[in-house]
Amino acid sequence: MNRRDFFSWGTVGVAALCSAVAVSLGAVGRFLMPSVFYGPPQSFKIGDPADFPFGSPTFLVDEKIFVFRDREKGFAVASAVCTHLGCTVAYFPSDRDFHCPCHGSVFSPTGAVLHGPAPRPLNWFEVTLTRDGQLRVDKDKTVPPTYRLMV
Amino acid sequence: MKLIREIWQSIVRRDPLSTDKGKSELVFLNVWLHIHPAKVKKENLRFKHSFYLGFITFFLFIILVTTGIALMCYYRPYPPQAYQDMKDLQFAVFMGPFLRNMHRWAAHGMVVCVFLHMCRVFYTGSYKKPRQFNWVVGVLLLLLTLGLSFTGYLLPWDQLAYWAITVGTNIGSYAPLIGGQLRELLLGGHSVGEAALLRFYVLHVAVLPSLVILLTIVHFWRVRKDGGLSRPVWKLKPQKQEALVTIGAPAEAVPLHVAAASTDKTYGLMEVVTGKPIFETITPEEEEDTVFSYPYAFVREAVVLMGTVTTIMMMSLFMNAPLEEMANPAVTPNPAKAPWYFLGLQELVSHSALLGGVVAPALMVLALLAIPYFDRNPSRRPGDRKWVLWVFTLFVVANIALIIVGTFFRGPGWAWVPPWVHVVARPE
Amino acid sequence: MERKLQQLFFALSLLALVLILVAEWQASTPSWKPYQRKFLQLEAQEEPNAVSKAAVLATPLAINQVVLPGLQRVDRCTTCHLGVEDPTMKNAPGPFHYHAGLGPHVPSKFGCTICHGGQGLATDMKDAHGNVAFWQTPLLPADYVRASCGRCHKEGDVPGVPELTEGHHLFDTEGCRGCHKLNGVGGSIGPDLTEEGANHRSPEWLERHFLAPNAVSPGSAMPNFHFTREQARALTYYMLSLTSGDMGSYYSSERLIPSPEYGRQLFVEKDCIVCHAIGGIGAKTGPDLLGVTKRHSAEWIDEQLVNPELVYPGSSMPEYDLESNARKALVAFLASATPEDAQQMLTRKGHPLTPKDAAIEAGKQDFARFGCAGCHGTELQGGLANPNAQGEQVPSLLHVSDDYTKDEVIGIIRDGRMPPLDNVKGPTPPLYMPSWKHVLSDEDINRIADFLWSKQQQKKESW
Repeated sequence: MNRRDFFSWGTVGVAALCSAVAVSLGAVGRFLMPSVFYGPPQSFKIGDPADFPFGSPTFLVDEKIFVFRDREKGFAVASAVCTHLGCTVAYFPSDRDFHCPCHGSVFSPTGAVLHGPAPRPLNWFEVTLTRDGQLRVDKDKTVPPTYRLMV
Repeated sequence: MKLIREIWQSIVRRDPLSTDKGKSELVFLNVWLHIHPAKVKKENLRFKHSFYLGFITFFLFIILVTTGIALMCYYRPYPPQAYQDMKDLQFAVFMGPFLRNMHRWAAHGMVVCVFLHMCRVFYTGSYKKPRQFNWVVGVLLLLLTLGLSFTGYLLPWDQLAYWAITVGTNIGSYAPLIGGQLRELLLGGHSVGEAALLRFYVLHVAVLPSLVILLTIVHFWRVRKDGGLSRPVWKLKPQKQEALVTIGAPAEAVPLHVAAASTDKTYGLMEVVTGKPIFETITPEEEEDTVFSYPYAFVREAVVLMGTVTTIMMMSLFMNAPLEEMANPAVTPNPAKAPWYFLGLQELVSHSALLGGVVAPALMVLALLAIPYFDRNPSRRPGDRKWVLWVFTLFVVANIALIIVGTFFRGPGWAWVPPWVHVVARPE
Repeated sequence: MERKLQQLFFALSLLALVLILVAEWQASTPSWKPYQRKFLQLEAQEEPNAVSKAAVLATPLAINQVVLPGLQRVDRCTTCHLGVEDPTMKNAPGPFHYHAGLGPHVPSKFGCTICHGGQGLATDMKDAHGNVAFWQTPLLPADYVRASCGRCHKEGDVPGVPELTEGHHLFDTEGCRGCHKLNGVGGSIGPDLTEEGANHRSPEWLERHFLAPNAVSPGSAMPNFHFTREQARALTYYMLSLTSGDMGSYYSSERLIPSPEYGRQLFVEKDCIVCHAIGGIGAKTGPDLLGVTKRHSAEWIDEQLVNPELVYPGSSMPEYDLESNARKALVAFLASATPEDAQQMLTRKGHPLTPKDAAIEAGKQDFARFGCAGCHGTELQGGLANPNAQGEQVPSLLHVSDDYTKDEVIGIIRDGRMPPLDNVKGPTPPLYMPSWKHVLSDEDINRIADFLWSKQQQKKESW
């Protein structure tokens, strides 16, 4: 028996096995990656523009967003999720700022970090008007805090 | 480069595989491989000796555990979500059908292989001294395998599952005195419902697999400690029987026929334990017949592993696991059948509930467990045990025949309907 | 040998690699993907420039699903039917066209299968359309889709689906309840129909069944009522709509359709004309309602209906506990109500009845409503075939007073009765008189008996 052949076939076999295992692991990874989502969608309609008051932002609990409406500037939507560790911030109309209950981060009305451990300003989401005249928020699209939708 | 070699050496901690020492160390320094002896008898490696059925069963179990864990990520064990999750696997999850198919076919395969493995062990007489207890462990593993398959059968929560389990658990309820309560305990109610689904899930993913793993460890350990694979019967010579050693410390009066200790060949700590080795010993002339486990045993095991995996994958590519309409307690399909491996029982039950549902299976299990202690004939050669072989063959054939009858020859109302006749159930 | 084994090991490992790749390829090419690509191409055509075209084409493909816990379903139909909510897709080909005329029933709020049937979770055409083994609700044929309106809109009238109203009416007047239970009320000779719409019977089966019950289910006790094709269709619609499945609050609050027609029904039902007039026709206790919708806003009337005291302290108008859409229906009716409507209502009310006549009238209504008419006929003529019962048919009730006392008849209605047999050894007749004591009160039974006796007298007088 030729010793060299003997070992090379075994080695090639192990190599093939390893690649099969690697591909399988990749497949299992894709298997585990969710292909449909049952949670709240990332892009959703929040209703008629007339339903939102001027002044203090409207907090939507399920969507975790603040909807700002300004007579001159129009609509803007801010995330209520603290950029530090993901707690939900609250808006205090008296101070006109956002407070995070978890580690005391404070954000200005534009979302900038005033103090606390938060590393980034609050996110602002794109808000658009649908064909049927409703406001649509897309959490997958962040915009600068100056973004406004005029209705 | 030196560092890499050092790291590698710190992992493998053995001599190069080109040396005999390296080949031995590969086996007994490795936690996964040390269940093997460093050297094995050549004839034991022959495919036609064991058909590697034990290995195949074990590899199927590995497939079941891995695919099972993956599937658990998409399964909620309460109705009707359980059924919706099946539909998700079928239609939305990437490779969901493939993994579910693999799990299904490997499960059926395991039931078949564990049974065939038992047959092989019986026909080669390998349950005889000193391996009696390992046979018992094996029978328990067979029962656990049936339990795993049966509990898994309910989880898809479709009509097939629901009624198979309803029929299956009712077979059990014919047991006198405790039958009804046993069924309630298993189902967590009077009929198959939410509680039953949760209980079956717990049994299927936690209790039974743990027991199987524990007993498998015992089973493997005993294979090794009882002297490795039994020698092929064709290698048994009449005079060799003298060299067989009885188990443990025998009654004082019985003299031991033990080969001289110096010629014993074992690899392991057993040598420092006082007393005599309890397994079939290897004589010096037989030493000639052994080879190193690496690579001779391992390459065969690897081939069997890949053969098993590719077979299951192939089946999973071309055959889909069944999924019927959602479980509906109000509509009984006609006929409602238990899982196939219980159809022999269902056939018996259709003739007599008590005899077929309780007495026959109980006797069957008891007989299987007791075989090594009742069959006191020490010879393993087929010529010396004709009678036993005939009885066992009858048992196997009867089982298979009943399952075939139950599966293919029973139609609506459990009437005799050959598979080539098409019968439509009577409309309401 | 050893070399061969190593080669075999290599070959099998390679095969495993190939198989896993095939499985992955199979999983990455589901049948819905080509549809989405085609749709993106359609959308890209509308885009003005190459950049936006490329952006549209680069949209990732994904399964779309509408999760509807309130309707207990998840619909993935919009994975391929991508244009259903987009009016610009009106003339789009294949599965992409716009679904016109949905009104408030947009797929993102209602899904598709609630009306159309099919398998919402499936992402493959054949499975999704449901014409596969082990799926019991395939797509409803186009002719029957409108029957699904009745699954939610159980009360009132569904504009555009006269079949439902007609079916409901037939069910109530033809005496179906004599044999069938619906929502707990009815006889037990035939199957309970409360969940008939969820029983997965095909509409064609139902329709043929109504035309000739015995032809589709041999041995059925159900007599042939000689329905016309239209009536069979209407009853089929009604059957398809029968389910008691729970709906989320969003849907149940919108169940009633605030149509003027339903408003008129409510106006009659609640006897508004007893206090109010329309254009001077009617009573003067409350204000005249002609043009009330011009004098007050819809919100104001709504408030008045909810809480009359709040609007007019000391108002004598009772609170009617109406659902919001029922109030809207009333407002819709009032907007178009004319003095002629009021006149009609008053005429139909007719003269006040004497207590005795009122009891007979109530008995007559019970006779129809609880299904006595199903077997004994709307005119008490009887005559339905009932093999091996005395006379081979259901007895006529026109001469019941000749053979029985009133108390005996009341006893028979209360406790039920097996008809006397023609041939004692023959089969049990399919139809029999069920016991009604758990459904009807003694008062109801007495009224029915009064009604029967009133018919006897009329008969004798006419002789």
